[in-house]
Amino acid sequence: MNPYVAVAALFLMVGVMLLLPLIPSLVELRGKSDALPLSVVQQNAGEIRHFANSFRDYIKGIEPTLQRCVADGTTGTGTLANGEEYVALGRADEALLRALEQRDALHPVVITAGVDLAVPGESTLSKEIYAGCLFTGGSKNKYRAILGENSVHLGASSHVTRWVHALGEFTAERECQLYGRISSDSLIRLGADCVFLRLNAPRIEIGDATVNQDTTSSPVPASVNSAHAQRFFHEGDFEVQAGETIRGNLVVRGNLHIRSGARICGSVKSTKDLVLGDEVCVEGSLISAQEMLIGANCAIHGPVVAERELAIAAGSRVGSLQHPTTVSAPWIKAEEGSLVFGTLWAREHGEVVANQ
Amino acid sequence: MIYALYIIVFVICVYTGRHYWFTLNRLFGFQRHPYIDIDTADWPPVTVLVAAHNEEKVIANILDALMTVKYPEDRILVIPVNDRSTDRTREIIDKFVQDFPGRIQAFHRVIGKGGKAAALKDAMELVNTEVILIFDADYIPGAGLIKQLVAPFFDLEVGGVMGRVVPLNTGTNLLTRLLDLERSGGYQVDQQARMNLGLVPQHGGTVAGVRLSALREIGGWNDNSLTEDTDLTYRLLLNGWKTVYQNRSECYEEVPEIWPVRIKQIMRWAKGHNQAMVTYGFQLLLGKNHATLRERIDGTLLLGVYAMAPLTLLGWALALGVFYQGVAPLHGVIALLSLTAYAALGNLAAFFEIAAAVRLDGTRKRISLLPFLILGFAVSIFSVSRAAFSQVRDLLTGAEFHWDKTERFRKAL
Repeated sequence: MNPYVAVAALFLMVGVMLLLPLIPSLVELRGKSDALPLSVVQQNAGEIRHFANSFRDYIKGIEPTLQRCVADGTTGTGTLANGEEYVALGRADEALLRALEQRDALHPVVITAGVDLAVPGESTLSKEIYAGCLFTGGSKNKYRAILGENSVHLGASSHVTRWVHALGEFTAERECQLYGRISSDSLIRLGADCVFLRLNAPRIEIGDATVNQDTTSSPVPASVNSAHAQRFFHEGDFEVQAGETIRGNLVVRGNLHIRSGARICGSVKSTKDLVLGDEVCVEGSLISAQEMLIGANCAIHGPVVAERELAIAAGSRVGSLQHPTTVSAPWIKAEEGSLVFGTLWAREHGEVVANQ
Repeated sequence: MIYALYIIVFVICVYTGRHYWFTLNRLFGFQRHPYIDIDTADWPPVTVLVAAHNEEKVIANILDALMTVKYPEDRILVIPVNDRSTDRTREIIDKFVQDFPGRIQAFHRVIGKGGKAAALKDAMELVNTEVILIFDADYIPGAGLIKQLVAPFFDLEVGGVMGRVVPLNTGTNLLTRLLDLERSGGYQVDQQARMNLGLVPQHGGTVAGVRLSALREIGGWNDNSLTEDTDLTYRLLLNGWKTVYQNRSECYEEVPEIWPVRIKQIMRWAKGHNQAMVTYGFQLLLGKNHATLRERIDGTLLLGVYAMAPLTLLGWALALGVFYQGVAPLHGVIALLSLTAYAALGNLAAFFEIAAAVRLDGTRKRISLLPFLILGFAVSIFSVSRAAFSQVRDLLTGAEFHWDKTERFRKAL
């Protein structure tokens, strides 16, 4: 072979081999098929009522139909903007709802009701429900999502897969499984052994929380801005003695045990486990990088954050009506009788523990 | 010569292992986002400082965005820090002050030392809230971002907070697309892995926050620093304050669209980082301070990131020298292996990190641009090395550093 051709062939081959892996890159560079900025949630970052608000906008168009059905005591059907079918209920007897439930297995529809809605037990409704008046669900029902303009009550062992928002009270009897977002503009009350992820309401009662209403003193809020207060910094495990009062913020690089009756006039951080005895009062936030155990009848202004498991004993309360706050951890066990004002958010699993 | 080469290879292997560790942690480890769920609280008063030097093209965008954020209006004050601008920046800011009375307070700086840290230092006379957030003028914060950046300050150990930067002008050209990939790797994997592992997430000086009492405790902004963010990270760390990273607190930014601007930007970062390495490196690793052992080790490695470029160049030169010298063990095979090993492994580790980040971001096709990153890396390695050499030269000649502002490419409103 001619040596010049051989060299040229060598260069050509090397060039091709170099270019070969670059072909997808060149195609993408020229075609720009994935060149948009990453989608960053700009407007509704984390807003718990976002799905409920979107659903309300989505069904706005059928409001006149629903009003007509209510006035006539009839049932109407139609199609929503994206082709989804709906049923507008101006009356809601059990036979009608049974029929809807049976139809759901084959052809689910969005249900809108302008009257009180009582869904019989053991029903599955796999599309969204709009309840213009009271909503009462029987036991062992399965729902996708419910928007209630009034109170929403779920029977025992009910299952919600996406969200519920009630303008009135939201109550769930024992052993309900509440996945997704559950919110109320008034009150959430969960029965024993309920499972939850994210709850938000001015007042969240775990079981019968009324018992603790007057048993604990309300913490005086200590905001972030008052962090000018002294910061006690301790390396290693630390204990706050029973009945002791600490004025200032406490940061412990280790395990922290705050014994019964102690009062912290500030915020608390522990880089390991954090244990609160009974009747402890914390005027600021409570943060643990590991597990946290809040004893009975404690009062915390909040927020409360545990990076692993969090257990709240009966009679304890976090936040207040005037100062709602957040309780957050991947795994939360809240005993019946505890009370949270604001948000209770279990990233992985939350459960209501029945009183012994 | 061979022993010097071995040391360099070892150091590069450490960084390679670190890249793999971070990436595997992001893919399979426990992810820490402890404060992101705080959505209800007694939100504290907050001051938002917007650093602006000749920002007529972008300043209106950020002020518009800040006027629509979801934060109690009576608890947020925006202070645009107009640092000696000679364009329409002042005029635009004053118009906003007029349109939003009580919500924006202008700080016009007409004289003084150059640089962002110096401007922020002067602006502190207007700040009296415990929580301070900082944005560069080319950023566009989303509605929920302020609450997300404030939330970590409920933790009394937190002195600084850093959010995630997402390029907005991604699709402009090859450079912006490469920077998009680099930012993904840097934030989605690197920063979040350091957060997960209890190491040292870095304060970026924008989409960021700092606690006033912590800032006062460490002596305020250091206007002698070329990168006030790195400087802040280490002074907080040495004094027992944590910097936390919030991967889900995302904010759009504009990345450089032309290579000379990118080169200037990375050279400034390199010089600032090297300055921090010299100032804090020894004190962090061996001095008496509040950092944990893993923070000391990771913090030191992080300080050395920009020193790796000249070190790599030196390693290449040494490897070639050793090879042609013919005195190396196994007839130079070790030297040759060293050359290829650290070049390939090191780069592949970074590629692996970026590929994992792209996957975590849920994007698909942009990963095919990965081979082009070699170009970006080549430019970086020479720019950063040049910055290091000029820094040493300036030290010897006593020349003063000139602070270069990054040029903007957005069209003015």
